[in-house]
Amino acid sequence: MIYIVTALPCEASPIVKRYDLKRDDACRHFPLYRSDDMFLIVSGVGKMASAIATAYLIAQNVKRDEAGGEEGLAIINIGVCGTLNQRYPIGTPLLIHKVIDHETGKQYFPDILIEHPFEEGSIETHNDVVRREDVLSGRVELRADLVDMEASGFFQAASRFLAPHQIYVIKVVGDYLDVVDFDRQRVAQCISGALDAVDGFIKQVEGLCRVEGDVLTQDERLQLERVKESLRLTVTQSHQLVDMARRYKLRTGRPLPDFSEFAQTRVKVKAEGRKALERIRRLLLYE
Amino acid sequence: MSKFSHIYIEERAAAYPVAQHVLSRFPGSIRVMVRHYKDVFNRPHQDFRRQKASTKLILAVKREPFLYPGPEVCEDFGNPNFYYTSPVLNCIYDCDYCYLQGLYPSANIVIFVNIEEFFKAVDRQLESGPLYLCPSYDTDLLALEGIVPYASRWIEFAGIRQGLRIELRTRSANYSAIAGLTPVEQVILAWSLSPHEVVRRYERLAPPLKARLTAIKAALQDGWQVRLCFEPLIKIHNWQQVYREFLDEVFSIIPAERVFDANIGVFRMSKEQFKRISRLRSDTDIFAFPMVCREGGVVTYEDEKEIRGFFYQNLNRYLPEEKIYG
Ligand code: SF4
Repeated sequence: MIYIVTALPCEASPIVKRYDLKRDDACRHFPLYRSDDMFLIVSGVGKMASAIATAYLIAQNVKRDEAGGEEGLAIINIGVCGTLNQRYPIGTPLLIHKVIDHETGKQYFPDILIEHPFEEGSIETHNDVVRREDVLSGRVELRADLVDMEASGFFQAASRFLAPHQIYVIKVVGDYLDVVDFDRQRVAQCISGALDAVDGFIKQVEGLCRVEGDVLTQDERLQLERVKESLRLTVTQSHQLVDMARRYKLRTGRPLPDFSEFAQTRVKVKAEGRKALERIRRLLLYE
Repeated sequence: MSKFSHIYIEERAAAYPVAQHVLSRFPGSIRVMVRHYKDVFNRPHQDFRRQKASTKLILAVKREPFLYPGPEVCEDFGNPNFYYTSPVLNCIYDCDYCYLQGLYPSANIVIFVNIEEFFKAVDRQLESGPLYLCPSYDTDLLALEGIVPYASRWIEFAGIRQGLRIELRTRSANYSAIAGLTPVEQVILAWSLSPHEVVRRYERLAPPLKARLTAIKAALQDGWQVRLCFEPLIKIHNWQQVYREFLDEVFSIIPAERVFDANIGVFRMSKEQFKRISRLRSDTDIFAFPMVCREGGVVTYEDEKEIRGFFYQNLNRYLPEEKIYG
């Protein structure tokens, strides 16, 4: 499951279109869009707004999400940003490896464990709009490649719930800190242009965060139940049996061996059960 | 993503020669400056297993303390003043039973670049008497020698100190990285050995037994003092036969009379560590044999004594009693 947080509707709309997300009218607090495997929330501008929307999104939906709960999801902050560095052409998407909060000086780091198509960079989140002249005059000192107004709030909120390999920030260079008239269409174009790369990235992230369900099939679980009963295993022995069976499957990738012989044995004394369990252990460890 | 794709560098660590050396080994890695290494290393909810598949390096400056008293559960080989020190945290190997799993909040490898300060701390400690020191406890220094030459730095340091004895423990076969050094009497190269079947199943990324034995043989020939560590002894199917044949193999390659000493340790772990690792590792059957929790909260095999006794007897065929610890 992928959660996306954008600050502005014009950042959200290309994503909503691409993934055919539907507005969730039940959500009264934020514009929220969804499909079977994606949620997108529009937070509004600023790190506090982003933090609130992020926390809301995760807290509201984790319990509804059955595919592994919190463990199986990843959350991405997507939006435009500014930079003073003309090395980045307008429209360049970057995957952020360091988020600095300008006001607190705190730093946040996602875990980048997968191959991805982006250039990486750092971003500094400010409370106020940073203008070119503020930086050139020395009124504001930049400590990162990029500047935005949400990433640190988003990251802080998301880290409260999720592991650092589940939290990502992708920012598209939208201006050189020289915006005079805010142009929604231009912003939407910047995001649209990055979506092929974002799509590939999302697939990788889904693979990384996938949580395997129980490796034992329904039939196998039933079979083990029968073995437990016929061998009169104690609670501890029963746990051992199921644990061994799971590990066998994980290790070998094969289905469980045939246990019908054990399921049909009727043991009279517990010692016999113990002996049979030893045989199963050998079977699961070394066959 | 490849190992060490990212190197996190604590601001104050960047100028150290060791940091420069490590960075020069990985010209393609992405460098990320960090204010304090714990901002990366101690993040909440890190996923050890997923990180292990794409480990990152962290370069940092260690603050006091540099030396820690040796833990009760570790063999001191009759040495008073047993200390350990951790110039590196975490390991490039991935043994199923490794106690480092989940010991730290992260699987990433921290290299403390201010090695000179570790040496100064040792000098201070030496003022109050001889010292037995293990600098390869929370890592495998020899395995990392190609990245950071700390095994050789410690050997050179120990060579010119009175009253210092150092144990460098390893599972690597990387003897060639230090073969150019003159053997130093104060240093014991301690090799952890396991039967082929245990290495294959449970010591992921570590070199095979044969390669380790070849390395030990070369080290002995060059005149190094070598300790053999049979620890942890892991129970596997047919373990008596496996361990008997294993010892025969070891001593068919290594001249027993040249071995400095050896130690035996059946797998044991604190209850908390055991629980943590069992949770982290659903992908291994290493703990398939029944375990018990003994007094004092130590988990081990129910037949721990029998395993130890059996192994001791067989080892005793090759080494005299006074050379066997544990
Ligand atoms: S070699 Fe030692 S430190 Fe490294 S993973 Fe194996 S047990 Fe752990």
